[in-house]
Amino acid sequence: MRVYRVFMHRLRSIFRKSRADADLQREIEIHLEQLVKEAVASGMNESEARMMARRRFGPLERTKEECRDTRRVDVIDNFTCDVRYALRIIWTKRSFSVPALLTLALGIGANIAIFSVVDAVLIRSLPYAQPEKLVGVSNSAVFSGQVINDWPLSLEMYAAYNQQAQSFADFGVWTPGAAAVTGAGDPDEVATASMTHGVLPALGVQPYLGRWFSSADEVPGAQKAVILSYKYWRRRFGGSERVLGQLVLIDFVPYQVVGVMPRSFEFLNVDPDVFLAQSVANGAPGSADADYSGVARLKPGVSLAQANQDIARVLSIWGAGNAEWGQALEELRVKPNIHPLKQDVVGDVGAVLEILMGALVIVLLLVCANVANLVQVRAHARRGEFAIRTALGAGRGRVASQLIVESLALATLGGAAGLALAYAALRVLVTHGPSTLPRISEIAMDSTSLLFALACSLLSGMLFGFIALLKSGFSSRLQNARGSSPSAEQLRAQNVLVVAQVALALVLLVGAGLLVRSFIALSAVKPGFTHPEQIQTIRLFIPEAQIPEPERLAQMQADILHQVAAIPGVTAAGFATALPLELEYHNGVPVSVEGKTPVGRIPPNRTIKYVSPGLLFALGTRLIAGRDFAWSDLGSQRRVALVSQNMARENWGEPQDALGKRIRIGADGPWSVVVGVAENVYDDGVDQPPPALVYFPGVRRGVTFALRSTRAGTEGLVKEITAKVHVVDSSLPLVNVRTLSALYRSTMERRSFALVLLGIAAVMAVTLSIIGVYGVLAYAVAQRRKEISIRVAVGAEPRTIKALFLRQGLILTCLGGAVGLVSARGVSHWMSSLLFGVTPADPLTFGVSGAVILAAALAASYVPSRRAASLHPIEALRSD
Amino acid sequence: MPKPSDLLQGTLDLLILKTLATAPLHGWAVAKRIQVLSGEVLAVGQGSLYPALHRLEQQGWLRAEWKDSDLGRPAKVYSLTRAGRKQLDRELDSWNRLCSAVQLLIETA
Repeated sequence: MRVYRVFMHRLRSIFRKSRADADLQREIEIHLEQLVKEAVASGMNESEARMMARRRFGPLERTKEECRDTRRVDVIDNFTCDVRYALRIIWTKRSFSVPALLTLALGIGANIAIFSVVDAVLIRSLPYAQPEKLVGVSNSAVFSGQVINDWPLSLEMYAAYNQQAQSFADFGVWTPGAAAVTGAGDPDEVATASMTHGVLPALGVQPYLGRWFSSADEVPGAQKAVILSYKYWRRRFGGSERVLGQLVLIDFVPYQVVGVMPRSFEFLNVDPDVFLAQSVANGAPGSADADYSGVARLKPGVSLAQANQDIARVLSIWGAGNAEWGQALEELRVKPNIHPLKQDVVGDVGAVLEILMGALVIVLLLVCANVANLVQVRAHARRGEFAIRTALGAGRGRVASQLIVESLALATLGGAAGLALAYAALRVLVTHGPSTLPRISEIAMDSTSLLFALACSLLSGMLFGFIALLKSGFSSRLQNARGSSPSAEQLRAQNVLVVAQVALALVLLVGAGLLVRSFIALSAVKPGFTHPEQIQTIRLFIPEAQIPEPERLAQMQADILHQVAAIPGVTAAGFATALPLELEYHNGVPVSVEGKTPVGRIPPNRTIKYVSPGLLFALGTRLIAGRDFAWSDLGSQRRVALVSQNMARENWGEPQDALGKRIRIGADGPWSVVVGVAENVYDDGVDQPPPALVYFPGVRRGVTFALRSTRAGTEGLVKEITAKVHVVDSSLPLVNVRTLSALYRSTMERRSFALVLLGIAAVMAVTLSIIGVYGVLAYAVAQRRKEISIRVAVGAEPRTIKALFLRQGLILTCLGGAVGLVSARGVSHWMSSLLFGVTPADPLTFGVSGAVILAAALAASYVPSRRAASLHPIEALRSD
Repeated sequence: MPKPSDLLQGTLDLLILKTLATAPLHGWAVAKRIQVLSGEVLAVGQGSLYPALHRLEQQGWLRAEWKDSDLGRPAKVYSLTRAGRKQLDRELDSWNRLCSAVQLLIETA
């Protein structure tokens, strides 16, 4: 209670200072009046009484001042006074404050922007209830010596897990896809997520309209069910509530709409338009394909380790029930991999963001070092003022706190500007950042970012304030009011700062350099196709409901190919189940080689593609031996295949020796004869080793057409293609209309995002360290003007003077460079996940980065050195 | 009128608290009362009374309010808070200890 009253009282005296003063005045007047009255009553006349009262009361103003003193609000009073003074200094000394504020705004702004991204992507929990209970369910397996941690589940596994797992409260599997929505209106290509009924309950997001899927929706032959995303519901159905129960044709199959998800719902890191109920039939064709990602909510109190144990148990029971799969589990050493769901959502972008955050913290440190320099130079210039204030009775602490308050004010203003910058930068980032950046819609400035901004500003203010305080060394020697040379320790402190700056900048430069080298190495990779910018791609899916017979399907695809190949300007055309880099249609299928794969063993997985004749020519993939497919191969009794060069070398040594050899899918399929060997294709992205590829001629419902034309990517060509396709069938939607180079670029996105931002950080760092080196030398020259003039007066050559300062710059830079190279070597392995074709210790990158820093620093020291050399002896007389 | 003796250092707080223990008073009345009750022996200089009052208020031992008063106009009236009463007890205690110590010294020395 007392504490409260004291506090309120003090608050009042601060904020209602004038009121408190008026009260005091009145209180004292009353007392004086009483004295006067008393005196008059005892017979004095009025004016005499007044004089007497004043005399008896004593020194009026001192009493008042003593009363005021009891309020004891100095700390806060002084603070507001300091702040006011600091703001005035910032405003009047703009030549000092503008560069300081600019660098601060850049440094802090960049940090806020990237922190907002890191926060949204990595730190913030997933937008579901109790996200810590959500896990991703996949398996780990060993394929030809390589451990794969995200081997997906098959529907058979799902059924087993679903029935027997005891650690999941809810569990389901899903797989992404694409489908055509036909019926009323234009055909519509939609992104789909096919899922079992446990997925949405596991995430715990209630539908906006209707219901979740039920297990009844999964029974083969039952009415198929679809749940719409909010976005698609608004777009296709105008947000009508009567959509529930309606039938929608998806890939020509009627689906009943059972629900609409809310607007805020985000499905992991994909953005499907519709959610389809996955039918689950044990033992049905395709149910053994491992294509499904699992999502589960753990029961309360179940840990990840317990869940893994539980699923391992289920897996072994399941394997024991089926000899073939039991063997597969054994050979591939399949183990359950239950992991936090966030891992699935965030993916491998985490490493990039961590590196960027680290880089920007370095930049902020550089900013602080530079601003500390500026503040310190200001402090030095004001040491006369400080000395006078000390002489007048200001305590050392008072003067120091003034400097700190000034630094904090500077940092807060810089931080506010940085906040504005970060806001703008984030908008650019969200629109131009890599589309693969997960959770991009969650990236925004929020209270966390604001708190971070505040912490960032205050901490950097404290940091450079204290550095400046220590460096100016005035806490120990304030008496030094007259201009004289700076003390040795002062210069040493400054030198340490420059060394640190050069070192930090070099670390960033090496990081950016390594990325540049990776990029050069990536561009040098021959991907197995030529001029991807000339290859137009279109994906077509012909659903079973429309054309059930495989013969008609093959005919239709051939017709379309002939139609589009006849478009003027198209020089070659073909189609395949998946073009290079089309990771979404990726597969892995066991392929046996006659005479090489031991009988009774599961052969290693290969990427297989069904391709049309002429596709390899259209892509520019060279044939190394043998021949391409011919149209006659399609209907022929003699099954044929092509293999990639690495597949041929692995099995038969020389590409030539592969011809005539036989391979087959699985352990018991029909044999196909190898008729040709194609060069390796970097099918998984140019940064991945080229996989062993097997090509078959054949008919599949979903294929991507590749057309080589110099007009690729133009709207005109796309229009002509659409027209030609619609000549064959007018209801087919065209998907993935893009060029192969767009695909090529998107596989580089993660790295180019990192490169661009790290490059910006490195440029900022180098600029800051140049400013730092320049600042320190220029300051040293200014401080030693008198000494230099005397030297010149007694006969020193300008050359010697110049060399004196150049040498100082050189020594500092070399020291910083050495420290930087060692630290860069220490931290560069952090980025190894981003590097390609270059080791983290690449000597060329280190050498060039060092040379760049050295050159920059020398240039920065040259200007002040020259100024020193051109000083006239008369200066010695003039200054001070 | 004999010149009132100077107040012993530190006793002013005690006197003010004691004076206000019976009834709330304004500054003038506090001064008067101390003077009257001490048989005109003790007089509080205004120069120390008001800073003392303000200090005690800041410390939360007194509460002040502007109230109508016998002076014919509103005056700042001080009264004792609960914490002030406790402080008064403490001050009385230490005063008594001091007195008996001085007494003892005078008698035995």
